[in-house]
Amino acid sequence: MSTRVPDTSIYFAVTEGIRAEANRLLSAGEVTAIVGYTTGRRTGSSQPIIVTDADDTARLCFSVTSVNNLAVYLTKAKKEIPKNGKIGIVVKGCDLKALVGLMGESQLKREELYLIGVPCVGVLASTVQPSTELTAETIAPKCRECDAHLPSGCDFLPDVALPPLPQLDGKYTAEIARLEALTPAERWVYWKEQFAKCIKCYACRQVCPFCFCEQCLCDRNKPQMVDTTPRPSGNTAWHIVRAMHLAGRCAGCAECERVCPMDIPLNLLNRKMAKELKELFDYEAGLEVNDKGPLTMFTEKDDQSFIK
Amino acid sequence: MQKYISQQNLNTLLDKLIAKGTRVVAPRMNAGIPLYEPLESSAKMVTDQLPRRSAKEAFFPVCEEIMSYEKEGQQVKLTDVDPARFPETVLVGVRPCDAAAIPVLDAVFSWDYKDEFFLERRRKTTVIGLACTTADDACFCTAVGLSPAETRGSDLFLTPLDGGGYACESYSEKGEALIADNGELFSEPDNSMPLPLAVPQADKVDLKKVKRWLDEHFEDPLWDGIAVRCVGCGACAFVCPACHCFDIVDEGTEKAGKRRKSWDACGFWKFTHHASGHNPRDLQPKRYRNRIMHKFKYYDDKFGQTLCTGCGRCVRICPVGIDIAAIVDEINKK
Repeated sequence: MSTRVPDTSIYFAVTEGIRAEANRLLSAGEVTAIVGYTTGRRTGSSQPIIVTDADDTARLCFSVTSVNNLAVYLTKAKKEIPKNGKIGIVVKGCDLKALVGLMGESQLKREELYLIGVPCVGVLASTVQPSTELTAETIAPKCRECDAHLPSGCDFLPDVALPPLPQLDGKYTAEIARLEALTPAERWVYWKEQFAKCIKCYACRQVCPFCFCEQCLCDRNKPQMVDTTPRPSGNTAWHIVRAMHLAGRCAGCAECERVCPMDIPLNLLNRKMAKELKELFDYEAGLEVNDKGPLTMFTEKDDQSFIK
Repeated sequence: MQKYISQQNLNTLLDKLIAKGTRVVAPRMNAGIPLYEPLESSAKMVTDQLPRRSAKEAFFPVCEEIMSYEKEGQQVKLTDVDPARFPETVLVGVRPCDAAAIPVLDAVFSWDYKDEFFLERRRKTTVIGLACTTADDACFCTAVGLSPAETRGSDLFLTPLDGGGYACESYSEKGEALIADNGELFSEPDNSMPLPLAVPQADKVDLKKVKRWLDEHFEDPLWDGIAVRCVGCGACAFVCPACHCFDIVDEGTEKAGKRRKSWDACGFWKFTHHASGHNPRDLQPKRYRNRIMHKFKYYDDKFGQTLCTGCGRCVRICPVGIDIAAIVDEINKK
């Protein structure tokens, strides 16, 4: 059974469930902090919050604007968040894939996390106002192709049944197919135009759970590996470095694309890389904790046709 | 001196300027987003959306060359960029929040050091502001003492009229000159009424009171509360019409290269990273505190102005929903 519009009415019950569980956890001292969402000033908006006091758990919420992948706050790149004791985190299915990846890369330990899962029917695209209703037109592109509405293996999941979900056509799939059909020269024209918009604000890097390098190669100046100014050479180099370094790791939360103030379709690069990895190594990131990804190990089954 | 100009005549004026070799910069679409960029034709102007970046880049580009070098044997040849080559410019369709930021930038770029790159472009540019008829709930120009009809920073100011076209008021010699040189395109005002202006929902804050609180609260739990979630990107500073920090780097090879100036942002961890390895702003709340302090205290201390015009861009694009209007409102209520 399918519907045309995602039914978001479960988010009230999801919010209640998150609040009650967060309150219990903090009151019992089972966790030191909960990373979740709270409402913002703008109508309909929500934003990340770190709650450490049970009295503040009523501020937690989940809504169609709870878009952030909160996994970024658990990485070593976010030194501001004390990593002492067990931390509770509110996770959508897409965000959970990043946590799984971070566990595989020895950045997080499962036993130090308390996962509060969210049954999710989708969130809003970044291109609409936060007060907008969630529809087949306003839903975030990643949600159109979501295969993780219900995160698995969480410590707590609000007792809410997922409503029937609309079948939506995949915009990334269609756009990747369109780009693949172009000639390399035509594709280059497309990406040159997109990268020309980049202003090197590094929002894409800063929200990425996998960009936890303490010093990014692109910030180094001794030696200078990549031109830092927002110009064609440095922009192109940065976006290629980013795409390649995330290949086999990125699980598609699409935060990079959501936060880009210049609307560069960054997730297309990530999805294309993921597609290559699937075709070449039958590998999908974020499904299980693996300490070696396909690009960090060799097996005899690996494609060697490039050796001529 | 109030005049009337029809949409058609405004387009004719811009096309005439373009044909004459004047750089005409206006909001237009570029690869899917509205930006203030040079027009090749007035037909490209799009005024119904706030450009994603501010108008500051007409004077202070995202990145610009300031010098080049060539080395041959022991000889090093340095070549300055000559600001005299900067073109005469008309910046048109500028939102009041963007235009009002221009005098704010003038103060810092003509302070103890005269930034010839900024000042020469500024000298050669005529700014045509445009009243706002739409606002969203991120807009807060009214909170910082401005309005959708603010004329500060504009040489000419256009107010859309209900019968089409614009009421056009001049606020400087540059504005007067543009009207005088193109007199045939302007006429006397008729009885048209201005279209209703935008109504931002933000209440006016007492900026002096905000500053007094900041004077005394360099250390305060507020900073941790807000900025613990800041991820440390530069998006807020880069879309801001008033932020003006920049970095200077040499790019090229040992043989030849260029010295370039490009936007920098206090949210970056590297911004205050010392050569010694020490960083006085080692955590994100300290960096975010600087953003608020610079805008509402330091700039006022130095120049008697506020470094924020309420355009709301940072509110809209912050990846983690940090809302400067909400913060200033919170401080105002303390």
